[in-house]
Amino acid sequence: MPDNETITLELFRYHPETDSEPRFQSYDVPYDEDWVVLDAINWIKDYVDGSVTHRWSCRMGVCGSCGMMVNGEPKLTCAAFLKNYYPFPIKVEPLVNFPVERDLVVDMEGFMDKLQDVKPYIIRDDVNDTSGGEYRQSPAELAQYKQYSMCINCMLCYSACPVVGHEDEFLGPAALALGHRYNKDSRDQGQSERLEVMLSSEAMWGCTFVGECSVVCPKHVDPAGAIQQAKAMGAQEYFKRFVMPKGAGV
Amino acid sequence: MSGQYHRSHSRAWFMERPAYIRFMIRELTSFFMAAYLIVLIITLAKVGAGEAAAAEWLQALSGTGWKVAHAVALAAAVWHTITFFAAVPQAMPIYIGEDRLPAPIAKIVMGYGPWLTVTAVILWGVLR
Repeated sequence: MPDNETITLELFRYHPETDSEPRFQSYDVPYDEDWVVLDAINWIKDYVDGSVTHRWSCRMGVCGSCGMMVNGEPKLTCAAFLKNYYPFPIKVEPLVNFPVERDLVVDMEGFMDKLQDVKPYIIRDDVNDTSGGEYRQSPAELAQYKQYSMCINCMLCYSACPVVGHEDEFLGPAALALGHRYNKDSRDQGQSERLEVMLSSEAMWGCTFVGECSVVCPKHVDPAGAIQQAKAMGAQEYFKRFVMPKGAGV
Repeated sequence: MSGQYHRSHSRAWFMERPAYIRFMIRELTSFFMAAYLIVLIITLAKVGAGEAAAAEWLQALSGTGWKVAHAVALAAAVWHTITFFAAVPQAMPIYIGEDRLPAPIAKIVMGYGPWLTVTAVILWGVLR
């Protein structure tokens, strides 16, 4: 490991009260091969420029707070090691396809609304009836959706998706994968209700299967796969409604 | 005014990432396949119109330009097929109990295996 070496971070800066346009500001940071980009940004904030604004929490790839563009790629900065970029400068920007609030912080409100749109909870007809005990599930039934339940809402997939960038109303990878997660849950009875939202043109049919959402996902959720499976499920629902216009269910 | 900064998107967005370029190439292969199908439909119509019309059409297709066009269409179809089979394990996962069939095996079982089998049967039927 080189001693007293530094690495340059070029941070996207935007303070709405003073800036009409964003700018980049360079900082030389001590190089430590054990450091990740988040460590470097925290060092800048602690020792050089306290006005740098960014989100972070767990530092271990669980909370999903520290997603940013690192040299143009959506990454969790807590998992992006400096040694993978050294000795070249690292450009850090807020996640693309989101409005920028301040510096490296984006507005998550639209994303959170989209998550709610897919009804991300178990829907039961007998929700108040507990006489039968818990809703049991076999390991094989769990395997059907477990992968899609691992999402940490880091929004990297929204930054990797060109459809999200061009269609504001598109529900996007994480929300659609979340909807599919509940549709595949053997305890759920709300597939028809959920597919009402997911079958719209702004939902799964907007996906062109670029596939980058799955490539950048730090938890291997594979939203692209979930959406293609949801399309097949949606097509079945469509034909059921065509054949049985009244009372069709999945 | 919210004070938020909204970044604009380039018209050449598909040049921003290699994966976007690969996606556009995959989509573009559909054009060549559609063009080939039009030629195939015309060929069938000519065959239906009689031996002389079919011979005249096949003579026209023997030109270098048509051969190049067919080679391009074949390359596009093969590439489209490869990308389609690559997507199969994601779009149609097969579970055996709790275990998901690994992607390389799923590609063979649901993609390359049936494709090569059907191709072999057709070749056998044509060449025998």
